[in-house]
Amino acid sequence: MLTPLEQIKKMRALAINRIIGSGYLSTKRVYVGMATCEIAAGSKEVMQVFQEAKKQGLADVYVSQKGCAGRCNLEPTVEIVEEGKIPVKYGLIDKEKAQQIIERHLKKGEVITEWLIK
Amino acid sequence: MADQVETRTIKNSTAQYNVILCSGPSCLHRKSKELLQAVRRELVRHGLERKTEVILSGCLGMCKKGPIMIINPGYTIYGGIHEEHIAEIIEAHLVKNNPVSEKIINEDHLFNRFYRIFGDVAFFGKQMRIALRNCGILDPEKIDDYLSVRGYEALAKVLTSYTPGQVIEEIGISGLRGRGGAGFPTGLKWKLTAETDSAEKYVICNADEGDPGAFMDRSAIEGDPHTVLEGMLIGGYAVGAVKGFIYIRAEYPLAIRRLEKAIAEARKHNLLGKNILGSDFSFDIEIRLGAGAFVCGEETALIQSIEGGRGMPRPRPPYPSVSGVFGKPTLINNVETWANIPVIVLDGADWFASIGTEKSKGTKVFALAGNVVNTGLIEVPMGTTLREIIFDIGGGIPDGKKFKAVQTGGPSGGCLTEDYLDTQIDYDSLAKAGSIMGSGGMIVMDEGTCMVNVAKFFLEFTQNESCGKCTPCREGTKRMLEILTRITAGKGRQGDIEQLERLGNMIRKASLCGLGQSAPNPVLSTIKNFRHEYEEHINRKHCRATVCPAMVVYGITDDCIGCGACVRVCPVGAVSGIKKNKHTIDQEACIKCGECYSTCRFKAITRT
Repeated sequence: MLTPLEQIKKMRALAINRIIGSGYLSTKRVYVGMATCEIAAGSKEVMQVFQEAKKQGLADVYVSQKGCAGRCNLEPTVEIVEEGKIPVKYGLIDKEKAQQIIERHLKKGEVITEWLIK
Repeated sequence: MADQVETRTIKNSTAQYNVILCSGPSCLHRKSKELLQAVRRELVRHGLERKTEVILSGCLGMCKKGPIMIINPGYTIYGGIHEEHIAEIIEAHLVKNNPVSEKIINEDHLFNRFYRIFGDVAFFGKQMRIALRNCGILDPEKIDDYLSVRGYEALAKVLTSYTPGQVIEEIGISGLRGRGGAGFPTGLKWKLTAETDSAEKYVICNADEGDPGAFMDRSAIEGDPHTVLEGMLIGGYAVGAVKGFIYIRAEYPLAIRRLEKAIAEARKHNLLGKNILGSDFSFDIEIRLGAGAFVCGEETALIQSIEGGRGMPRPRPPYPSVSGVFGKPTLINNVETWANIPVIVLDGADWFASIGTEKSKGTKVFALAGNVVNTGLIEVPMGTTLREIIFDIGGGIPDGKKFKAVQTGGPSGGCLTEDYLDTQIDYDSLAKAGSIMGSGGMIVMDEGTCMVNVAKFFLEFTQNESCGKCTPCREGTKRMLEILTRITAGKGRQGDIEQLERLGNMIRKASLCGLGQSAPNPVLSTIKNFRHEYEEHINRKHCRATVCPAMVVYGITDDCIGCGACVRVCPVGAVSGIKKNKHTIDQEACIKCGECYSTCRFKAITRT
């Protein structure tokens, strides 16, 4: 019989496996803020743009929602994390900007500086 | 403030590296500022100054191993560094990409993980995230995400190797105090509930957040619901309860949905239910929806509401720890309090007690709102000053306006002036300054705010929300509101201020519950700090912020070119004049709507 601590460690290992299995180790990870306030600011539409792009074949990108990141006046926020690089956080993103982030940042690796949260 | 300027000089949003130097009190003492100069020097020497962002952060929570320096990406933590180490570290890590291993400390802590993930370190630099540690980092709807960051490990640790008494002892040592506002020592509350003899006990999470402009609990639940569940499970184990309730208002549909999902997933993983993780401990959680009455945030009213009654407070004692839900001993804590519990268990009570001030330990979450550049949800160590929050994290007042006051604690709190900006955030200092910690609402006001009107706004709220059970609160707040309405309508009388003070003090003393006892606070604190504004309203019928319509007079200056724009927008035809000649306003007809004022492109209309 495993102790609760041993059990939880096993559960964690399995959970991490499942997260990796869902594409976590992609070169780029995209996080879209999806708390009530961010959704009110339009983050659902932004999320749809990224999910749609994945369906259309955008490869090597992991897309996830996240909770409130605390930047009320700059919502919706989108974060792009790449292993070994400083994370990039965009503020006040809408559908059109999300599309451009896909084209310019995710596909070509260009950081769109004017939309960054300073 | 000097720190602010220094850190901003190398601020670079497309930097390849972040060098974060701790400037918490303990690291500052060990000369972290001198280290900053050394870092700058070395960066310049290697030509890296444009590629590197250097940040002086608030306390990083590793005081014993300070001074601390963190290099991102990678969240490499260097501890115990001195000026002579800097050259070596910068060269090895940033130039040769080969971190200096003997100075690296391996810390697997739960708090402050945002440094690894968040891009805008400057905003977060003065913060410390314990309760919100996963907020904005994880997918709140996936238990796998929570499990992957040592989720439920605190529960497993407690079930494996702690007796309930040991858990309570740990919480006691941590010095954690209730985050709902009153600041009652959490360990003591747990102890009292555990000591009451009963076969049936309950645990409650108070998520009935009602302060206008406050959204801490909602964000915490929406961002990381499992933390709250884990905290409650540990509490249940400690006091011997088998059932928990989360009392949350129906206005938070997304938070409720995420909680429901979290509870279902936790049940599936045997983290809720019978014999949790194979132990003898069984516990389940149920959500109870509130209809959105402010008074239900008060614990006895909340308990009545859970029982199916009308949400009205009852006198204490007996306290819920003795007689709570269905007359059984009940442990009731706020969302943020619960969220702190897993961290205390895993990172250690001693560590937690090392953060903050002497009597207030850990961090506090605030919903920063109002006239401030960066509105947001923040978490800072206790002992951070109001100035640091408003000007460093909040970025100051927008549009070049002047700071006037800050309101903490929502409708139960007080307004503090510029003189109090260096007040440290902790339960006792804020109370001494004449406000309260409250649950974490923080509203910043600039010079365009009328303090009498602000007091009226908050009193309108509490007067509406008064449950009506006790006379002082029901009748007293009504009378106070009448007087305030009169004053703002330009009909204030001599003696009104004194009458407000008399009523306020009476309501404070004689009300049954916290709602009434704190309802006069916004009025009394604005009278204390802004008495002259009340006097101006009453004696001179003048509102210096030009907010109260009855006291505002619109006029037209010689700058008027007679374009007629104001004539067209005036809804009552009060503006008249010949084209290309100066116009006039008929004061009798004017309804003070301000349309002409905002329309005029030549700034020829005055508002006094």
